[in-house]
Amino acid sequence: MIRLVVTGIAIAMAFATAISIPNLALAQSSGGGTHPDFSGLWFPGGGRSQTPQQAPYTDAAKALLADYEKSFTLDDDPGRYCIWPGMPRAVWGAPFTVEIQQRPQDLTIFWEGYGMYRKIYMADHNPPEPILPSAMGHSVAHWEGDALVVETTSLKPYPYMTRMATSSDAHVVERLHLEQRDVNGQPTKFLVNEVVLTDPKVYKEPIRIMATLQLRPDLQLLEYTCSDTLWDEYLNERGLTLPDMDALPDPEG
Amino acid sequence: MRRRLLGALAAALTTMALPAAAHHSFAIYDMSQNIEFEGVVETTKLRNPHMALTLVQTNPDGTKQTINFVEGAPANMIVRMGLKPEDIAPGQTIKAIGAPRRDDPNAYFLKAIILPDGRRFSVIN
Repeated sequence: MIRLVVTGIAIAMAFATAISIPNLALAQSSGGGTHPDFSGLWFPGGGRSQTPQQAPYTDAAKALLADYEKSFTLDDDPGRYCIWPGMPRAVWGAPFTVEIQQRPQDLTIFWEGYGMYRKIYMADHNPPEPILPSAMGHSVAHWEGDALVVETTSLKPYPYMTRMATSSDAHVVERLHLEQRDVNGQPTKFLVNEVVLTDPKVYKEPIRIMATLQLRPDLQLLEYTCSDTLWDEYLNERGLTLPDMDALPDPEG
Repeated sequence: MRRRLLGALAAALTTMALPAAAHHSFAIYDMSQNIEFEGVVETTKLRNPHMALTLVQTNPDGTKQTINFVEGAPANMIVRMGLKPEDIAPGQTIKAIGAPRRDDPNAYFLKAIILPDGRRFSVIN
């Protein structure tokens, strides 16, 4: 704790003249330039907003929604069966730790919730081509000043109408930047993500979401295995009982 | 109207302590109830997305009753609150606050755990 406070004070002193600068850049060598470093342990915090608040469904999507609501309830949730929310929903998702590892050629994001994983390739480092639509899609990024602009395509459909459904045509653009804000008198880093979801088959206009992560180096990324309950249900159906490994006797001597 | 109320409850729960755990609406539970039990932990499943626990309570007449908490906080969330796995290991005496399932009054949502030293770990107030 003392170390954290001391570190916080050191950061505050080092950047005392930079506090008024909205995008606090912590320099990192990347491809010959300096860019903000998003690496670290983060936790959702600092606010979220969405415009428009009501999903602007197309007429055809409204019809799908009406049919969906006739059959599906809130309990019919893919998350219960460990289906990843994927992009863009992961951005503002669960209250669990998020770890970002940044290298010049890519960023890797681990979400504790659902054990989700995402790769963002840097456009100037020969990114691979997408080969399989997925929940996280295929993300390629470039820097615009201190903002990382990420474009995501190759998303597989997410047909859950009450949970920001998306089609294969969904296109997500994110602008990520760092901000320094005061938290209980301590300068604290926040990672602000301005997301624009465009999916003309589903939504008449782009949906803009602002989601924020707070730097939390005091946390750790825990394992989150989502399927234990489902496995238990299967074992119960089969009438199987797993051996109790911890009930084994301690070795003698 | 009822559906709207349930939807509002679900939305409220989502914005309270369980946004990630809100895989489902929790309307299957009567969350207005806070039934307190005290007993000895029989089994613990400290896992995600929901922990589960059974508690054996001794009734005033000496009979024993097993309380089945089929869902509670995500394991990761409750250990971040400071609960240690050994605090709720089988054999430990604890208090637990439950909300019964509407269609199965023997199954409960685990709303809070209270340890013998008074520390309380609440998922939903």
